[in-house]
Amino acid sequence: MSEFVDPVTGADAFGDPTAPELGVPELADEKQHARDESAVNSTGTTTVGIATDHGVVVATDRRASLGGRFVSNKSVQKVEQIHPTAVMTLVGSVGGAQSFTRTLRAESDLYEMRHGEPTSIHALATLAGNFVRGGPWFAINPIVAGVDAEGSHVYSVDPAGGVMADDYTVTGSGMQLAYGTIEGQYDRSMSIDAARDLAIRAVAAASERDTGSGNGVVVATVTDEGVEIEAFDAVDAALAA
Amino acid sequence: MQENQQAYDRGITIFSPDGRLYQVEYAREAVKRGTASVGVRTDQGVVLAADRQVRSPLLETDSIEKLHRIDDHVAVASAGHVADARQLVDFARTHAQRHRLRYDEPIDVETLAKEVTDYIQRYTQSGGARPFGVALVIAGVDPDGTPRVFETDPSGTPYEWTATAVGGDRETLMGYLEDHYREDLDLGGGIALALETLAQTDTDLDADTVEVTVVDVESGRVRSLDTDEIAPHVAELNLETDDE
Repeated sequence: MSEFVDPVTGADAFGDPTAPELGVPELADEKQHARDESAVNSTGTTTVGIATDHGVVVATDRRASLGGRFVSNKSVQKVEQIHPTAVMTLVGSVGGAQSFTRTLRAESDLYEMRHGEPTSIHALATLAGNFVRGGPWFAINPIVAGVDAEGSHVYSVDPAGGVMADDYTVTGSGMQLAYGTIEGQYDRSMSIDAARDLAIRAVAAASERDTGSGNGVVVATVTDEGVEIEAFDAVDAALAA
Repeated sequence: MQENQQAYDRGITIFSPDGRLYQVEYAREAVKRGTASVGVRTDQGVVLAADRQVRSPLLETDSIEKLHRIDDHVAVASAGHVADARQLVDFARTHAQRHRLRYDEPIDVETLAKEVTDYIQRYTQSGGARPFGVALVIAGVDPDGTPRVFETDPSGTPYEWTATAVGGDRETLMGYLEDHYREDLDLGGGIALALETLAQTDTDLDADTVEVTVVDVESGRVRSLDTDEIAPHVAELNLETDDE
């Protein structure tokens, strides 16, 4: 606790810089659920983020599974808008990832209201890393991606709170297959359409061989104009759209 | 205790029948008892200037601090209770670093000023506490390169200014600023205006006791001027005063 105390509430005037202002879910409950692995819905997942000079494309599969052995849901939306020009992906425990998404969206909104402008993508990713490191969301591995005054950005946030920027990044159980598709095909100056095709094909490759990934594609396109999210039951439909 | 003194005169959280918070108004009087500080915004950066009252030749001038660096890009000038100012200065410093920890970016001046005024406000609404007897000028350059000057008062209200003065002789100094401030001032012009304004108080300016801090847009960093840099400005001003 700092030496600065709110004289009305007696609470620390600053709060924890690494914790969400609006509080976190109880850690104890989350841990208890996590012990019974077979009962936890997990996204397994392949989520892909690609940054280009023209914007950002994020593509994910749509499968949720129990212990990687049973497909518990075939139409999960694993990419969510959390900021006027940024999205994040849900990777890991569904409960943890959903709770994390809500928290980051609320924090992003608070920042925007207080500062009169949205966070930079770097600030958003740093915030996400701080929360993952300090909070109860221990089993998630999201991508934070978006566009700001500095350009297009893609960040991966690992379960220990590591935050890394890259031109393109993949998280989830299908990552090696998706990376194999993207390597050698990426070019920072590629068009949004080309990046969209590449991201979809990376998710499609992972869906073919990774048991945790499949059941179609959700594609998010982020430009300085905003976010567009489309869901497809089949890869072909996504490529054709 | 005087018989005509009412509970609302003493209690910080109690409104008077005509809706005033006397303790906050008394805190404003405490600010008026302090020596003045001036803040000026120009397109090229912001200027803070303050005069230190050196009561004795034995006193080390540098031990009187009226201008404080808060972060790389923000500084604060104070008027009123120095000890109260130091608390708010440390609050602002801590908050600026907290923002860096949380977002990995420098805080913008407006957000910092509002965090400080929110903190000040809490001391006007809690029993057993007294308000801060100090006004601050918070000046700096935003991360996007915009120069900003804010004022905080003991009620916890934030104000943004192109140029302002806090402390003793405020009305005189504000009058001077209103007459002489120009939108097209460069940083040098801003320094000159700040010192001219300070010179409107009754005491003569001395380059050894005047403090000047600038944050220029180009570097975005706080810099305190040396006595050598202040002396020519002060010499020129004193010359003008002598002519009159």
